[in-house]
Amino acid sequence: MPLEMKSSTEGNTARLSLGGELDGSSAPAVREAVDKLLQARPERLVLELEKLTFMASAGLRILIFAKQKQQNLKIYLLKPQEIVIDTLKKTGFYQSVYVVDREEDIKG
Amino acid sequence: MEQYKFPGTLDALEPIRKYVEGVAQSAGLDHKATYKLCLAVDEIATNVVLHGYEEAGLNGDLMIGSSMENDNLVIELEDHGKPYDPNFHALPNAEDLAERLESREIGGLGIFLALDGVDDIQYASSAKANVHRFIVRLEHEPESTT
Repeated sequence: MPLEMKSSTEGNTARLSLGGELDGSSAPAVREAVDKLLQARPERLVLELEKLTFMASAGLRILIFAKQKQQNLKIYLLKPQEIVIDTLKKTGFYQSVYVVDREEDIKG
Repeated sequence: MEQYKFPGTLDALEPIRKYVEGVAQSAGLDHKATYKLCLAVDEIATNVVLHGYEEAGLNGDLMIGSSMENDNLVIELEDHGKPYDPNFHALPNAEDLAERLESREIGGLGIFLALDGVDDIQYASSAKANVHRFIVRLEHEPESTT
């Protein structure tokens, strides 16, 4: 399934909604979208992942990229699928991002 | 073993995952085991394309096939790029994995996930080809005695 992507910025919150499969071939476009969103130096980056069905290590490297580009950035992952959470936990990324299930939990 | 051939580019990743998914489901793997096998093959195929072919200035194909050997599902990925044995790659250790993202090294995550995703990855390189074999042990339900 090709990757679907939609980005927006509201106040201090940048959002990127991802659906489909994030692999080595679709990752450069996502990285570019994140790069663009971070140009406004938002406080938070919310990645909406409910419809993301596959994420390879190329996706993890985008999280590293975002955090290294802007160290004070808070990264929220909204509703990632169980299997994606599994990858985040195994690789230690789970502790470095906010994984939330509800929109209301995005704050601070 | 019947083999399917794809060009050795990143565009091949999606059809390769589709192929692996189909084989895994036919072998009776559950959703999680299927996903992990797809991820393992995807990560290695990505490395073959980026490092074995592109970085080395080479062009070539990726061949994929599968077989059942005893109680194992075996996926074979063959290429003709620069040889690269995932079992001799420096993997991130516990300390690296606990590192904050701000100071994380970027490398090694793909192979870490690949090795985690299957029971074994065997690698052989010869003048003819490089072959990665992904092994998944199939667990059988104990036979009912009633």
